[in-house]
Amino acid sequence: MADILVVEDDRDLNAAYKLILESAKHKVKTALNGVEALKILNDYTPDLILLDLLMPVMGGLELLQKYQLKKHKDVKVLIFTNMENSPEVTQAYDLGASRCIIKSWTAPQNLTKVVNDVLEESNKAKAKIKQPINR
Amino acid sequence: MTRSKILCTKSHLMGHIIKSMSDQTSQAESQQIITEVLFNSIGDGAITTDEYGKLTRINPVAEKLLGYSSKEVVGIWFPKLFTAYDSNGAQMPITERPLTRALVTGQIISEHVIYKHKNGSLVRLSLTISPININKKLVGCIQILRDISSEYEIDKMKSDFISLASHQLRTPLSAVKTYTHMLIDGMMGPLSQSQLKSLKTILTAVNRMNETVSTLLNISRIESGTIVAERKPLQAQKIINSVIDDHRLTASDKDITFSVNCPSDGFRLVTDGMVLKEVLGNLVSNAIKYTPSKGKITISAKRDKTRMIISVSDTGVGIPIDSHLNVFSKFFRAENVIKNEASGIGLGLYLVKGLMNELGGEVWFESQEGKGTTFYLSFPTKASNTSTLKHISPRKVKNVTAKVRKTVA
Repeated sequence: MADILVVEDDRDLNAAYKLILESAKHKVKTALNGVEALKILNDYTPDLILLDLLMPVMGGLELLQKYQLKKHKDVKVLIFTNMENSPEVTQAYDLGASRCIIKSWTAPQNLTKVVNDVLEESNKAKAKIKQPINR
Repeated sequence: MTRSKILCTKSHLMGHIIKSMSDQTSQAESQQIITEVLFNSIGDGAITTDEYGKLTRINPVAEKLLGYSSKEVVGIWFPKLFTAYDSNGAQMPITERPLTRALVTGQIISEHVIYKHKNGSLVRLSLTISPININKKLVGCIQILRDISSEYEIDKMKSDFISLASHQLRTPLSAVKTYTHMLIDGMMGPLSQSQLKSLKTILTAVNRMNETVSTLLNISRIESGTIVAERKPLQAQKIINSVIDDHRLTASDKDITFSVNCPSDGFRLVTDGMVLKEVLGNLVSNAIKYTPSKGKITISAKRDKTRMIISVSDTGVGIPIDSHLNVFSKFFRAENVIKNEASGIGLGLYLVKGLMNELGGEVWFESQEGKGTTFYLSFPTKASNTSTLKHISPRKVKNVTAKVRKTVA
């Protein structure tokens, strides 16, 4: 079980992702754009942010810049977009995103799988850091 | 006056001019004047260079296109005068520029290129460079330039429109797909068999629409030069498996089975995973579409000394031999499939070819009508091995570059 923030401007998709991730036993908060997300992130540190790129008010890239993702090592970002192979995706990786998946190709069970994969990789990374050094 | 009479009169007049000129000057000089007049009358920009790339002549149209007068540029090394950019706006190294390639290979080069105008603005040009040979010896090149800025703008507007329309279509499609999946997965409660069947039909239709939108979007990106291929190390087997997962439902409707032959390491490859997935998705979707019931699709991966090769093989209807040349053309569909299969717009393989170019790889096929088709994708083992000069020996390039340097000095 992990804390997940879904940032997606399409209300139907936003509700769907919440339902899918909750049925996979995750705790989910939602935001409809970058500004709403930043407000939530003020006093909440999720394990993972599921982030759309193209949104009104504030898009995903601007959110990543403002949130300074690279300073939040424990927060993983999974980009969920329909703009594959675009310069925006490259920029998102540069800003620290872990993975990018395409909305219109991804079935719910695949979404859950990718979310769990990213969380698992992050847990492994944390475990490695915590391991005592054998001398 | 009839056309023949006009021609007679014109040639008569020309004869007079030549005669009167030759009365006054030597024949060689008059020949030179005629050449000059002809060169300056060309309706497109024309520039000649010597065998080292030094500019020898520029016509008035080219002067206007690039902003330099003949006096300013004759005698100057062409690459020093004009920085060349490819159609995506990336600066081309001297060895890759069309003029260098024409001088090195002795072949005619036609492509779109951007040169910098004297005032600093960029001019988008369609360029044809032809080597000039005298007694089989290369003595220089002639470049014909045509301004294609307005065509480019119209094309860009068209691409932007397709891109925007596709994006707008994709969001509602994503919602339809996600909710249909949620219903099928039983997240909204149990379903009857007929409800489940109807939902699967919706899903197949949505997937088909998704593929079309995706194809249009990617083609508009390739044509506008805005596609970005992010090469990273990956395991091709994972992508192969996910492509098969995406198509399992459609394949099972026709009782088509999949098999995968992959090296035990999962076939490590340095390429863009999403682009590879799109390429394989198109090939597998075609294979399913054109393979009769109970057929078989095999995806294999292997490597040789310089390349990694993935193949998609089917037991389908095959491609008629007279269609082989057109398989990768835009909107092309073979006769034998138009008769039997209504869906499809003939963009899939055109897209595959374009995407493989972006990845620095190649695509080709073998096919026998009635037996099946195999498409092969090859990826260079070194990501940088995409130079346009790869077919020319490095020594030859070095020699020409040395010659050019000597001339400039």
